Amino acid sequence: MKLCSPEAQALPPSNFKTAPRPETLAGLRVGFLDNTKPPADKVMAHLDQRLRERFPGAQSFYVSKTAASVPATAEMMQSLKLNCDVVITGFGD
Amino acid sequence: MTAPFTALARNQSKVFGLPNMQAAIMPHPLGGLPVPQVIAKVDAVFDEIVAKLTRPLPKVPVEAKLAKSLWVEVDVKDEWDDLQKFFMERGWGDGMLAMPPTEARVAAMVGGSGFPPNHVVATLAPKMGLATIELIAANAVMAGCKPMHMPLLIAAVQAMAEEQFNLYGIQGTTHPVSPLMIVNGPLAATLGIHSGSGLFGPGPWSNGVVGRAIRFILLNIGGAKPVEMDKATMGHPGKYTYCMAENEPASPWPSLAADRGFDPGVSTVTMTGSEAPHNINDHDSTCAGGVLLMCFHTITETGQNNVNHPGEPMLILGPEHAATIAKEGYTKDDVKRAIYEEARIPLTYFSEEQIERRLTRYLPKRFKDRHRSDAMVPLAQRWEDVMVLVAGGTGKHSMYVPTFGSTRSVTRAVLKPDGTPWKPEDFK
Repeated sequence: MKLCSPEAQALPPSNFKTAPRPETLAGLRVGFLDNTKPPADKVMAHLDQRLRERFPGAQSFYVSKTAASVPATAEMMQSLKLNCDVVITGFGD
Repeated sequence: MTAPFTALARNQSKVFGLPNMQAAIMPHPLGGLPVPQVIAKVDAVFDEIVAKLTRPLPKVPVEAKLAKSLWVEVDVKDEWDDLQKFFMERGWGDGMLAMPPTEARVAAMVGGSGFPPNHVVATLAPKMGLATIELIAANAVMAGCKPMHMPLLIAAVQAMAEEQFNLYGIQGTTHPVSPLMIVNGPLAATLGIHSGSGLFGPGPWSNGVVGRAIRFILLNIGGAKPVEMDKATMGHPGKYTYCMAENEPASPWPSLAADRGFDPGVSTVTMTGSEAPHNINDHDSTCAGGVLLMCFHTITETGQNNVNHPGEPMLILGPEHAATIAKEGYTKDDVKRAIYEEARIPLTYFSEEQIERRLTRYLPKRFKDRHRSDAMVPLAQRWEDVMVLVAGGTGKHSMYVPTFGSTRSVTRAVLKPDGTPWKPEDFK
């Protein structure tokens, strides 16, 4: 029996060109994108504190989404790109 | 991230162009835990996070190209045993018997659209699958639709792909949400979309198969397969099928489509990201104030997403309740304003954790009176965000349908390929 598969294909995405990973976070700017799911703010603040303890001179830069279920805006992403060397975010509950 | 969300996160990083995203996986959950337990889980993966930030990224895997054909040969003895088992194994269906999408059936369904089979209507999240006419048709066949239903499905796919609908959020969330299809205009009756008694239940009408086709499209084209990609904690029965028409002849007010600027001769499909409906029973009130009072107190539930998101709470008034309200001169906007002003929840009904962690943080204006002991919280950001429809038949019942919150409903006209509206006479 010949059937039409109901499953879609997705166009292969054009992958982002990623920045080279640093060897250390010392003196670098670490971005935190808060997805707004409680307790993401507490997770980010704790990571921030521990990273700065381990890596002298590390600085932090925070951006918060408007809601967990909506994507970060282009402005938020641009802000992270301009102000950070690496970025940490969260996913899930 | 927490472990149960890994497959969804990996898929998203891939389809949005970052296939080598690095992640530290933690045991679920983080939400709802006391802060010290959250910190302990973070500390357990701290060294891994540092390593993944400071180690070269792995090479990007080579992407497979699109297959040339969607058609497959299936070696089965019959359509109702072997083939149904095949559908289940492939994850193509909703768990119930599905019509085989054969060449003849899919071709007939494509013919109902007026478009060529390879026309791309939209891409659907989270897979970002290409919703071609042929694929929409294959899913419509499986759900039991007729070719005449294709124009509704195309309008629905267009609506769900609009950014403001936030299909990605609706498909992936743990919240029990499904797109609800609302049909307005002359095509509702022509295409068998029932608006009267028992409209959300079974009957000799097309609400069931059309709503089911939407779910097939979301499963197979959007790729929101349950458990791995659709993270609904429980979901709700409307995720099988959720389709209605507004009962325009029985409504004392302009229709939803008229509210949104469409001419009476133009049929529309409105998609909302909705929870299951909840009944509002009032057999006793004889005046507008009485019926509305019952509505206010039924819909003011604390656990709904309209409380903590800028959503569009929806009231579906039964025709008898609507008539009782309208006979005193209330317009639909009056009802919306009344719901916004009067259907409010005492702030004391919320836990301190929720007020501190979520409500005042993300909706500071709505919860601006948090320090007052008598503070009352509305269900929407503005009265205009409240949706009011009229549907159903005989009886003193109405329904409340909370929404997902992080979504805005989208209305699209049901149009032919040349951009003119489909009319009832086109289906004779």
